[in-house]
Amino acid sequence: MHVNVSRDLWQDPWFLVGLSLTLLFAGLALLGPPLAPFDPWDISFSPISPPSATHLLGINDGGQDIFSELLYAIRNTVAFGLLSGFTALGIGVILGAVSGWFGGFVDAILMRIADIILAIPAIMILILTAALFQPAAYILALILASLMWPTISKAIRAQTLSLRESLHVRAASQMGGGSWHIIRRHLIPEMFPLYLIGFASKTRMAIFMEASLAFLGLFDPSRKSLGMMIAYALKYYYMEVWWNWLMPPILCLSLVIMGITFFAISLERVVDPRLRQALVEKTA
Amino acid sequence: MNLEIKNLDVAYGNGGHSIQALEDVSLKIDQGRCLALVGESGSGKTTLGKACLGLLPNNARQRGCILIDGQEIDTNDETALNTIRWERVAMVFQNGAANLNPAHRIIDQVAEPLIQHRGVGRDEARGHAAKVLEEMGLPEEFFDRYPHQLSGGQAQRVLLSMAMILDPGVLILDEPTSALDALTKGVVSRVIEEGMSRGKAILLITHDLEFAVRSADSMAVLYLGQIMETLPADELFSNPLHPYTLALKRSYPAMNSARDLGGIRGDAFYRTIHQHGHEDESDYLHSHIQVPESSHKDGHAPPSGCLFWQRCTQAIEECQKGRVRFEQAGAHTVRCLRRGIVDMLELKDVEKRYDSVAALFPVDLTVKAGEIFSLVGETGSGKTTLAMTAAGVIRPDQGSRLFEGHDMDRWMKKDYKSLARRIGVIYQNPAESISHRFSVLETVAEPLDIHRVGLEKGERVERVKKCLADVHLSTDRAFLERYPHELNMGALQRICLARALVLGPRLLIADEPTSSLDPSVQAKVLKLLLDLQIERGLTMLFVSHDIGLVRKISDRIGVMLQGQMVERGPASSILSQPCHPYTRLLIESVRGVFSVELNRGNNRQYASGCAFASRCPDRRDICDKQPPPLRNIGHVQVACHFPVERPL
Repeated sequence: MHVNVSRDLWQDPWFLVGLSLTLLFAGLALLGPPLAPFDPWDISFSPISPPSATHLLGINDGGQDIFSELLYAIRNTVAFGLLSGFTALGIGVILGAVSGWFGGFVDAILMRIADIILAIPAIMILILTAALFQPAAYILALILASLMWPTISKAIRAQTLSLRESLHVRAASQMGGGSWHIIRRHLIPEMFPLYLIGFASKTRMAIFMEASLAFLGLFDPSRKSLGMMIAYALKYYYMEVWWNWLMPPILCLSLVIMGITFFAISLERVVDPRLRQALVEKTA
Repeated sequence: MNLEIKNLDVAYGNGGHSIQALEDVSLKIDQGRCLALVGESGSGKTTLGKACLGLLPNNARQRGCILIDGQEIDTNDETALNTIRWERVAMVFQNGAANLNPAHRIIDQVAEPLIQHRGVGRDEARGHAAKVLEEMGLPEEFFDRYPHQLSGGQAQRVLLSMAMILDPGVLILDEPTSALDALTKGVVSRVIEEGMSRGKAILLITHDLEFAVRSADSMAVLYLGQIMETLPADELFSNPLHPYTLALKRSYPAMNSARDLGGIRGDAFYRTIHQHGHEDESDYLHSHIQVPESSHKDGHAPPSGCLFWQRCTQAIEECQKGRVRFEQAGAHTVRCLRRGIVDMLELKDVEKRYDSVAALFPVDLTVKAGEIFSLVGETGSGKTTLAMTAAGVIRPDQGSRLFEGHDMDRWMKKDYKSLARRIGVIYQNPAESISHRFSVLETVAEPLDIHRVGLEKGERVERVKKCLADVHLSTDRAFLERYPHELNMGALQRICLARALVLGPRLLIADEPTSSLDPSVQAKVLKLLLDLQIERGLTMLFVSHDIGLVRKISDRIGVMLQGQMVERGPASSILSQPCHPYTRLLIESVRGVFSVELNRGNNRQYASGCAFASRCPDRRDICDKQPPPLRNIGHVQVACHFPVERPL
C-alpha cells in the first residue's frame, strides 16, 4: 500500500467502529471458550432460570449456561464465516486473474463453470448436503465457498482485462516478466479493493448461511451456533426470555456483520485514491 | 612523388615499459593525392609524420619501412636523411611560432633551405622567399619581422612557406589549421589544392574533420597507433563504417549537423609494452592498454584483440580475443572483427493490420549499432506501432525481424527473457508506465526481480542506486521509498529511464519520452539520454512527432506517413534538404509556416498511389495511380515520384 494508511484510518469513524467490533468478536471467538464460566454442554443447572450473578444470561431449557453457550456459538459462527469467505476469495481471485490474464480457452471454460454455479441456489445445495450427509461444519463451509467464488471471479476478471492493457503491465511484460510475475506483482495488488468487497460480502453471506442452517436444525444439534440458539430461544418466546436468551445471539450476529462491513468499507475508501481524496476533504 | 608506409611499428622506450605509438600502419599516398590522417590526440598521428622524415627521438624503436617513390628511407643514415628532408619531403609542424627561430627575421628563415640545400645566393634566395611568402598572403611589411611579432596564423603561413620553398614532392602537414581562423584556413586549403594539382603527395594530419573532408581525397582513422578505417574523405560524415569513426564524427562540431555533440565513451588510453628483452612478435602479446592516471595498473586490458573494444558500441566477446585484421568493405577498409558497424535491429517488410485498418504497410527499418535513429511523422502515422514491433511488444502480421543478426520471433519463442534484457523501452506516459503501488526502489528493481539478477544481499539495492545516480536522481533511503504520486513527471520519466537501463540493454527504444514534459524538464531528460547513450554506448530508436527535438539528437531519421516510411537517411541531409514534400511540410510546420492547403487533414485510406497525393503541392496524375518507388538520392532513400532536390 502506497498510502499513508494509518493517519487517514485513525480519523475514520467507520474504521474505528468496524475495527472495535471486529476485534471484539475476534477476541471473543479466540478467547471465548476459556472465558466461559461453565461448560456449555453441562446440563446440571435448573432449566429456564433468569440471569443471576453466576449465570449472567441465565439458563436455557436444557439446563445449560446461556453465556457460555453464546461464547462457543460466536466462535463457531465466526470461524465458519471466515473460512468460507477466505476460501471463496482465494478461489475467486486466482481463477478470475488467470481467466482474465490468459483469456481464450481457459477463460471460456472457467467463466462457463462460473455461470453454471451462479445459476445454482447455494442454500438449496447446502440444505440438501447437510440433511443427506451430515458433514462436519468446515466441509459445509468449503462447499459454500465453492459456490460463492463466481461473483468475485467475475469482478476480478473484468478488472484484469482492463489492467492487462495498462501501460505498466505492458511494460512489465516487455521486460520479460512472465504471467506469474505479472499476476503476483501487478494484478493481485492492484485489485485490493475488490478483495475487500468480495471478502466482506462473502463472509457476511457465509455467516448468515451458517445461522440459517443452524436455525433450520441442519447441523449436529450439539454444535453451538448463534442460529441454533435463536431457534431454541424462539420456542420459549412466550416465557419472557427473549431479552436474555433470544436477543444476545441476534445482537451478536448483527454486530459481527456490521463490524466486517464497516471495516471493509473504511479500508476500501483508504485504498482507493479517489475515495481517499473525498475522505481527506471531509475530515479536513 | 608518392609516399608509402609499410607495416610501420614505433615504440617509445620509457624505463621498464615502453609505449606503443604506432602499430602495423600501412598507407600509400599517390602523387597528386591528399590523405588525411585523423584521430584523437595521442593516437600517433604526429609520430607517423615525424617517422616519414626520420625525426623520431632516440628512444623510439621503429620497424617496417617508409618508401618515397619506391625508395626506402634509411633512418640511420643522417646525410641521406638530410637530403630527403626539405628537398623531397617537407613537414609543417604544429604549434606555428614555436618552430621558428626567434633570433632571425622570418624571410631569412624561409630562405635558409634554399641556401643550405641548393647553394643559392642569399639575395636570390630572399627574393624567392618573398615570392613564396606573398603567395601565402603575407604582406610585405611582415617579411622583416621576427617570429614573436607575428600572430599564430601568420607564423603558420611562414612555416608553410618554408616547407614549400624547395617544392618537395611529399608534403606533411601536421595540424596546419589548429591555430587558424576559418578565413585563414583558406590559405592552407589553397596550398593543398595547388600541391595536389602539381603532383605532390600530401599527408594531412589533423583533427579538424571538416577541413579534412574538404581538402583530402581519402582518409585514415588512427586509434592508439592502429589504423581503424580508411575511407574516401567525403564519406566520413555520411557513411562511416567503423564505430570509432562514427564516434569521432559525432564529437566534431560540423556545420551541417544539427545534432548535439556527442563524445566517445570511456577514456582514451595509451599502450605500454612490458619489455622482456626480446624484440619480436611477442611484444604484441605483452602489450597492455592503460588509463593514463593509473599507469601501473596492469592486466585489465586484453593482450590481444581489438584496441577499441572497451569504448565500442558493438563489442562482443570475440572482440577481446584474436587479432583484428584489415578487411576491404567497398571503398573502405576496416579493422574490425565485425566488419564495421553492424545492424543492431533490422526489420524487413513488417506489416500490421488492426482489423480493417492497416497500421503498417510493408516497412523496412534498420538501426545500426551505436546510432540514434529517430522516427518522425504526424499522429497515426504508425511510428509507435513500428517502434513497438521493434521492441517485440507487437507481433507483426508479416515480415521478418532481426536483432543482433538473429531472428527475433524464434528468439522470443526460445528465450524471451534474454532478448528482453537487451532491449529497454521508455513509454510516452511515465505516470502510467509505473504501477502506482510500486515504490521507486520496487519500480527500478522490477527488471532485476524478473531476471533474477542481484539476488545477493545488498546487490539489488546497490544496482538500483547506481542506476538512479546515472539518471541524476537521489539515492537516499527516503527517495527509494517514495511512491509515484509523490513525484513530478520529470522524475518519473527518469525513473522509467533507470528501469529501462538497469539490466544494461543494448538497444533503447524511447516512444515520445518527453512529450509529457515541459521544455525545461524535457531539455534535462534529453541531455541525460544523450549522455547515457554515449556513456553506455547505447543504440537508440527514438520516436517523436517533434522534428525540432529530433534534429538535436538523431544520427539518422525515418519519416513515417500512414504506415509507410517515405524518407530516411542521415539527419543532416533530411533536415537541410528534405526530398519528400511531406518531410518539407513537417519541417515547415515546426517553423510556423502553415499552409492551409497542405495541412488539410488526410482521413482517407488510399487505395493506390502515393499516400501524400491528396495534400501534395507537386501532385501529378501518376501520383494517384502508382505507388511511388523507393529511390536513392545520395545517402537518402525517398519514396516519391517527384522528389524535391533543392535545399529547404
